[in-house]
Amino acid sequence: MNSASGLSPSVSGRRPVTGDSSARSIIVDARDVCRVFPMPAGPVTAVRDVTLQIRSGDHIAVRGPSGCGKSTLLHMLGCVETQTSGTLLFDGQDVSRLSDARRSLLRLRQIGFVFQRFFLLPMLTARENVELPMSEAGLAKDVRQQRVKELLEYVGLAARADHRPSQLSGGEMQRVAIARALANGPRLLLADEPTGELDEATGAQIATLLDRVNQGGTALVIVTHDAALADRAGRLLTMRDGRIESERVR
Amino acid sequence: MTALGFAWRSLVRQPARAALGILGVAAVGALLFDMLMLSRGLIVSMQDLLDRGGWDVRVSAGELPGSGLRVAHALETAEAISTLPSVQAALVIRSASVEIDRASGVPLRASFQGVATRSTNPAGSRLRAPWTILRGRDAEASDEIVIDQRIASEFKLEPGGVLTIRASCVGDLEALPATQLRVVGVAEFPFQTTESTTGATLDALKMACGGNVGHDADLILVTSKGDADGTAAAIRAQHPDVRAATNNEVVGRLQQTGFTYFRQISSVLTTVTVSFAVLLITVLLTVSVNQRLGEIAALRALGFSRLRVVKDVLSESALIVGIGGLLSLPLGLLLASGLDRILKGMPGIPVALHFFVFETAALGVHVALLVATAVIAALYPMRIVSRLPIAATLRDEVIG
Repeated sequence: MNSASGLSPSVSGRRPVTGDSSARSIIVDARDVCRVFPMPAGPVTAVRDVTLQIRSGDHIAVRGPSGCGKSTLLHMLGCVETQTSGTLLFDGQDVSRLSDARRSLLRLRQIGFVFQRFFLLPMLTARENVELPMSEAGLAKDVRQQRVKELLEYVGLAARADHRPSQLSGGEMQRVAIARALANGPRLLLADEPTGELDEATGAQIATLLDRVNQGGTALVIVTHDAALADRAGRLLTMRDGRIESERVR
Repeated sequence: MTALGFAWRSLVRQPARAALGILGVAAVGALLFDMLMLSRGLIVSMQDLLDRGGWDVRVSAGELPGSGLRVAHALETAEAISTLPSVQAALVIRSASVEIDRASGVPLRASFQGVATRSTNPAGSRLRAPWTILRGRDAEASDEIVIDQRIASEFKLEPGGVLTIRASCVGDLEALPATQLRVVGVAEFPFQTTESTTGATLDALKMACGGNVGHDADLILVTSKGDADGTAAAIRAQHPDVRAATNNEVVGRLQQTGFTYFRQISSVLTTVTVSFAVLLITVLLTVSVNQRLGEIAALRALGFSRLRVVKDVLSESALIVGIGGLLSLPLGLLLASGLDRILKGMPGIPVALHFFVFETAALGVHVALLVATAVIAALYPMRIVSRLPIAATLRDEVIG
């Protein structure tokens, strides 16, 4: 794995962010957002009155007990779920007013996702998995190939480019998933329990990789039960019953 | 990666399932192709048979030629028809039953067609009988006969040989006189059934029947100078007691009677086979999609549009149907050839008639139905992926 201090601009598409937080641009501005799920036994409020700003370069960890609304909040921040009430602006745009196609485009170009279960496509090689979002974004083939090479080198898997997920270890699969999430140079990277399926040592490697992504300028929000991973974040949000109970800034 | 490329990878990911789908479509597609060829096969084949000899109007005593009724005073009628301005020639056909003597064993039963041409112009006089000479020449004198390939093989006869026949022109009960005729040619008879056939002039037939023929004939074939409909109408006006029909009208009547059953059967079977294909592909795609819900939700989260994931499913359906459909063509032709042979084994079916006939239009309908099958079969799985709740699916996958 590369040991460079930050994600290079050519890989991340961003420049490392320095200076005080108020000077950094706001990516997500959520105000009093709620998410209620209608259930047969009655409505369940998964997220209630959450107000949160995410700026470029932020490194945020969200912790809390199971069912407290962490993943739902993450999905709302990633524009795959819309709030029931409140407003959520992404880059100044009200996400709830965007069509499904516009939200897809927003996710494709501005947001990266890393999942606990990786969700790599088993029939594609590591190279093809990373290339897929770029292909969807319409990047030229030579640009895609160059970028895939850089990204796989960045996550330390250049030698495994032609391996399929079934030929990779859990940690390697997650590194490919991170490379895939970074494919289109997102401003915001969302990770839902990225070390949940990994052993401690491999989890630490992934945590280091995510740190480097963040140091490259990409805002990072991690939902995790892993205390060690959460402690690396600049802001630690603790949720309970759908609310942000506390925020600790390092 | 294009939707088609992506679909191809999804297919080869589970080769057994893909092979099952493709083979299923190939089998169902072959049946579909056969049903389409059957639906118009008899009509096309019959039209071809009727048109083949160049005679475009048929005059008979019954509603359809070959009904058993005979045209009375056939030679006089043909003579009169040939004087019509639009007629080039008229040909009287009279059939008889014959037994062909063998050196040993049971005689071979065959049919014997005697023909006589009537025409008022030289071009018409040159028109011959509706059979095609394969070897030798046509029979012209009253002691000459042409035989079919089957008799030639069975009796080891070629032009120059002699055939001893016993002909019956009025009924099976009469005592059959033996007549020796000189074989001058081997011919192909367009309406020949499984029974062997011979042909000669009407005079030869009369001689073979001991003059016991009468004045009637089974059929009068007419060649018009171009206007078959006008000629048929003129004949009907001249002879209200006979039925004159163009080849198209004969085919039209057959379509309304016997052939309609094949059309109905083929329509029902076409519907059934298409339904099977739709169900098969729908089930396969639905199972495939349900196994990949997590991956699809992840792709959507990564920014793949709803349209894109729908296109992936449609492309997968198109690939299964496309490959299966291509395989169905040779399979269908092979199956049609076998079924045609079986159906032609029915008594009274002309050897040259085919139940399954390839037409470009049938291929076009086949392709159109397969395209519709691919789309309809993909509707339900496309609905699943288009309505997939991304967040809930990702949550369920983790919990599961």
